[in-house]
Order: sequence, then C-alpha cells, then structure tokens
Amino acid sequence: MNANHFNILSNKIVFLMLTILPVGGGFVYAFLYSIGTIGILNNGFTLSHWVNVLTDTSFWFSLGYSFYIAIVSVSISILLALTIVLFWKKSLVSNNSIVSYLLYIPLCFPAIVVALFSFQVWSKSGLISRIVSHLGILTEITSFPDLTNDTYGFSILYSCILMITPFFAILFSNLYKQEQIDHLKNIAMSLGATKTQALFKIVLPVILKKAKITISLFIVFVMSSYEIPLLLGRQNPQMISVLAIQKLQRFNLNDIPQAYAIACLYMIFIGLILYFLFFSKSSTQLSVSPLKRNFDD
Amino acid sequence: MTNQLLDIQNLSKAFEDEHILTQTSFFLQESKTLSILGKSGSGKTTLLKIIAGLEKQDNGTILLENNDITTLSAHKRNIVYLYQDALLFPHLNVFENIAFGLKLRKINAQEVKNRVTKMLYDLELQKHIHKMPTQLSGGQRQRVSFGRALIIQPKILLLDEPFGALDVDTRKQMQRLCKETLKQYKITTLFVTHDLKEALIMGDQIGKMQSGVLKTFKNKEEFLNDPSTGIKEEIEFWKNIHANEE
Amino acid sequence: MIRKALIPVFMLMVTFPIALLLLLSFGKSWVYPNIFPDQFTLQHWNDIYQINSELLMVTLKSIGISLGVSSVVTLLSFFSSKHISYSVYKSRWLFLAYIPYVFSPVILAATLQFYFTFVDVSGTFFGVILAQLFITYPFGVLIFSNFWNPRIKAIAELSNTLGGNSWITFYKVVLPLSKGVLLLCFFQVFLISWFEYGLTALIGVGKIKTLTLSVFQYIQEANIFLAALASCLLIIPPMILLYLNKRFIFTNQQTI
Repeated sequence: MNANHFNILSNKIVFLMLTILPVGGGFVYAFLYSIGTIGILNNGFTLSHWVNVLTDTSFWFSLGYSFYIAIVSVSISILLALTIVLFWKKSLVSNNSIVSYLLYIPLCFPAIVVALFSFQVWSKSGLISRIVSHLGILTEITSFPDLTNDTYGFSILYSCILMITPFFAILFSNLYKQEQIDHLKNIAMSLGATKTQALFKIVLPVILKKAKITISLFIVFVMSSYEIPLLLGRQNPQMISVLAIQKLQRFNLNDIPQAYAIACLYMIFIGLILYFLFFSKSSTQLSVSPLKRNFDD
Repeated sequence: MTNQLLDIQNLSKAFEDEHILTQTSFFLQESKTLSILGKSGSGKTTLLKIIAGLEKQDNGTILLENNDITTLSAHKRNIVYLYQDALLFPHLNVFENIAFGLKLRKINAQEVKNRVTKMLYDLELQKHIHKMPTQLSGGQRQRVSFGRALIIQPKILLLDEPFGALDVDTRKQMQRLCKETLKQYKITTLFVTHDLKEALIMGDQIGKMQSGVLKTFKNKEEFLNDPSTGIKEEIEFWKNIHANEE
Repeated sequence: MIRKALIPVFMLMVTFPIALLLLLSFGKSWVYPNIFPDQFTLQHWNDIYQINSELLMVTLKSIGISLGVSSVVTLLSFFSSKHISYSVYKSRWLFLAYIPYVFSPVILAATLQFYFTFVDVSGTFFGVILAQLFITYPFGVLIFSNFWNPRIKAIAELSNTLGGNSWITFYKVVLPLSKGVLLLCFFQVFLISWFEYGLTALIGVGKIKTLTLSVFQYIQEANIFLAALASCLLIIPPMILLYLNKRFIFTNQQTI
C-alpha cells in the first residue's frame, strides 16, 4: 500500500468514525435497550415496549404534531420570504443594502433566545398582554388568551417562523440571481405572459423547484427541534424530541425503553426521508445542492 | 532522422469492462508536433493523462529519452497537459501565473522576470501583465496558460483540444501563434483535436484515434488518402459544390 | 416610494428582539401591567466583569468549546471531504454524512449517553467537544464537498505537471483557493456549536455549563433579567462575526 492509498483510507476511516459510528452505535444501543436486552430493568427479550409505543396514541400524536408544526411554519416562512424577496429584490441584489443586512440579523439568534423572546412577548404576562391591558381592552391578566404553551403551538410556530424566514429569504434571493429570474421573466412576458402569469408560471415554480430539497430538509429540522417546544410547548401533545427526552428522564424507569424505541423509530424515519430525497429518480441531480450556494458567487 | 523522444509501447487501459485504450504504441520525434484526430470518447484524453502521469495505465511502457518513466509521478516527468479550460490559478495575476513553474524550480527573481517578460512579448500579452484571470478574454487566458507551460521548457507538451472553446477568428489566431511559438521554443508536442483542418495545420505528423486504437500515418499523403478520415469526402464536397447546386 | 418607506418598519421588526432583550438585561423589576421595567440596574452587566463572575467563566468556556470544535472540524472535514468528493461513490458517502446532519442532536445524544459514561468522558470538556464533533463534522464534509469539484482537481493536476509536488501544490495552489470556504466552515461550525443546547446538556450532565445552558437555567429560576443578559452575550459574538464578514458566515446556514 502506498502513501496515497494510506491517506485515502485513513480519511475514510475518520469519516466513518465520526458519522456512522455514532449514529450506528447509538441506534444499536437504543434498539437493544428497547427490546429489553440491556438496561437497568432488563428482564430479557421483549417486544412489549415497541408494542406500547406503537399502540399508544402519544407517539403518533407527537409525530403528527411535529409534522403539523413543521409544515405550517415552513409554509408561512416560504410565503413571507418570497414576499420579502420579490418586494425588495432590487435592494437584495446589491449585497450591501440595508435590507440585505437586516435579513442576516435574525440568524444571530439561537433557538433558545428566540424561545425566550417569544415567551416575553406572547405569554399572559408578556409584552402584548401588557400593551392590550394599557389600551383598556383587557381587565384581568387571566383573560388574555393562551398563546404560549397552548394547544395549537402558536408561539412555537411564531418562533420557528422567526428563525426560518431569513434563511429562506437569503436562499431565494440567491436563487433569484443565480437562475437569472429577471431574464426568464422578460422572456415569458415577451412571449405574451402578463405579470401575474409570469409570477405564477415562471418565477415561483423556478425558485421553489430549485429550493425543493432545502425546504424538505427544513421540514425535518423543524420536526426535530427541541429548545423551542421545550420552553413554549405543553405536556400534550409534545414534539418528538421533547417526548423522547422526557420519557428518558422521568422517574418511571419503565419509560426508558420506550424512549429508546421512539429514538429508533425516529432514526428510521429520518433515514427513509433522506433516502427518498437522495435516491429517488427526480432528485439525484440535486442531492448536494442545498449547500451549493456558499462560495460560488 | 530526428531522435525519438517519447516511445509509447502497448499502452492499455480499461474502466470496469470498457476498454478505453487498446495496445497503443507510437513514438514522438524531438521538436515535432504529432496531431491526433479523434472524436470525444475515443480515448484521447485518457492517453494524454496517462502520458502526463495523471492516470495509471493497466499495461504498457512509457519511455522518455530511453528512460522508463512508466511509474514516475507527474511532477517529476516534466510533461505538461493542457486542455480547453485554461485553468489559470485564480489567485495569481498573469505574471505570477506564467512564473509559477519557474518559481517552483527556485530560479532567481531577476531571471524569472526576464524570462516571463520575454514570454509575454512572444505571446503578445505585454499589456496584460498585472491583470487577474477574470479580466482576460478567452483567447488571452489560453495564451497565458500556454506560456505558463512553455516557460518551464517541458520535454513534452500535451494539448487536448486547446482551442475548442474559442470562436473561429481567435482560434485561427491561436493556431498561428501556437505553431510559431512551439517552433521557436523547440517543444515536442502531442496535439489532440477533432477538427480535420486543425490537425493538418498543427501537425508535422498525423495520427487518428478510434475506439481506443491509435493509427499513425507515415506522412500527410497517406493521411489524405485514408478513407476512414473522411478527408476524401470533404474534398469532393467542396469541389462539387456548384455541381451539386445545379 | 412604498418600498423605501417600509424599510424602517422592517428594520424595527428585526431589531425589536435585540432591543427587548437588551432592555430586560438592565431590568430589576417588571410589574404587570407596566410596559417597561419599573426599575433599572447596571449591576447585572457590571457583575460580568468581576473576576470570579460565573457568567464570565461560562462565556469563556463556551468560547473555548466552540473554538475547539470549529478548529478540529475545519481541519478534519477539509481533508476527508476531498477523498469523499473524489470517490466514485460520492453520493453514497454524502448520504451517510446527511444522516447525522439532519438528525435531532438531542436524541442522538440520548442514544450515546451510555457510551460516553462507559468511557468516562460524559460531563467533561472533552466529552462535550467530541459529542459536538458528531453533529458538526458531517456538516463540514458537506460544505467542502462543493469545493472539491473537478475544476479544483484539474488545477491541482496542472500544478503537478508543471513540476509542483503534492505539498507545493497544496500549499501554493489549493490552500490559497480554499481560504474562503475554510473561513465559511470555521464560522458556521463555530455558530452551530455556540447555539447548541440539547446535546451539550445531556453529554455535559450539568457539569459543563455553556451560555445556552445558562439561559435555560435562568429561565427555570424565573430570573428573566439574567436570562436576557445571557441571551445578549449569546447574540453578541455572531453579530460581530456578521459585521466582520456577512458573506462567508451566513450565506448558507441551514441549522436551526
């Protein structure tokens, strides 16, 4: 084996040790725990924990709730981001305008800070409630609606939208430049399209198609989010990361194998989504595109 | 009879089941240019990359000045491979790009300056000495790339469709300039193209590559008379252009 | 012009969170339904500068962890990514990198806790850095996978044929060309590490405290003023990085 082969091999080993080893090792441990082979209360092989998780509504509710939060917040963010980009596209094209700087500011907020901010704004004793009270609309603090820790996840959605919109706006404005949307729009209009037709038949489809993979990844990111629902969510329904961790940290030791079964299911779920994104016929070309915009402009 | 500088013996290469090169043998004479005519996918790029040491052959031997260089690594061969993308180092200006190889050889600064200046003059690039690659036109970039290779006086220059991306006029200009400079610097060249006329203009000797097999012709006559080159048809077409119309 | 007129509105919306958190970090009491805190103090901010201040220590520790993670990841993933990008099975390798990149860090940490305890690194500085490597290294590989394209390969090969050995080619050609993407990777990984909460909490088992953990702790103690202060400390470094170089840092940040 020559030096070059050794170099390639050692780099691939490092790669496997830092990616597949932790994920694989974690999965094996979680799986063995969930079938009762290892763990504090292990009584030998059993499928009961899996049966419990799969038949109990809380897991399915949690998955559905996570999906609901992800779809709603990503959709609203896309609409907002498109509006910002199309409204201010001229300012955004020049990379040093105020708008383009402003867009980057929210990216400096970690999830936990956004959650804290949302709570200070929307909770019963929050800023909005105080303002409404000053205006005389509200007489008692308790009559302010539940906007944090509420069933519909209002403040969770608000926080997620606050975090994602700038990402999408930046992505879309980059795509707008990269795909020469203005030229395409002009061609469409010279072929007889009205402004609205050009928007709905050219501008939006081109941008959204190019951003498809990134949007899908963001749905998964939001589904996995932890800090925001931890602070702003309620006991039931919980988002998936919160559910798994709470089951793990409860005093009832019987919940631990269930937590690991949930972790396994979630890993499989993510794997399937990625597999679909990566290897389905229509998306092979796009497989590494989400990160492509970094440095080539 | 001039010296045989490069002697290629029975070179073969396959990727998985596909034979890219089959038992290719030929030689290059010192200070001469061999044009190889070939379509894309004929194996010509692989052949050049193997000679440059950028890819490994499965079988065969490469002799340079009677020394076996078959396993020598690319940077020790002194054989430069260029293709239609000029691949100028984007972080260096024109002068620094051309000086790159000389600096690697630890030649003193004054000498580097003299030789680069002369090269810029020969390639009609004096005005662009401080420009960055992005400020140059396609033809200019190709000339810089060419100068960067010539200046280290490579034993062999391998040109893979070097003018493929240029427009017709620039291409003509470059063919002339290239031929003159190669003569002037006495560089042994292997010139690959799919353009019949370009192969004839550039080459002292001509070969044809088809499905991994290389055929070299003794002289231009033999090349012109070979039916597989399509030259006969071409000549007939132009001769009869009026007859066809009537 | 309506577009111009709306810019201040947009500016207000974007800067409002910073303003609110800054305001609260100076607050002492905020009785309902007052819109502004009724008492202000400089004490929280002054306390940071005390030598033994806990927040100062936490901030320094956070900076240490994030710098450590970003340096190691940038260095390792730069080279791994090269061999993966030039591999025949590039897309399969990248698929493997996407799994930990997309996966929930906190659930990953939960499944790995046992191993970390077993080799006795949970609750240590090293353990937290190692755990953060697991989520940031794949990200680094993905960033660099676009840099190691056929063009860079061809340029390096050209330098080879011009007489540069692999070290010179790397030092004189590849490295200067990769400055931008190296910075990009370094800053982005720094931010992922800087913003990380769940994984650090689980692997650090309360012994390793970073700024995000402090924010959470103050929230649990219902001390919104200190939580706001810690939040401000969290936001400041990214803002400085943003000011220094917008282009490299955020152009494509993907994590939440």
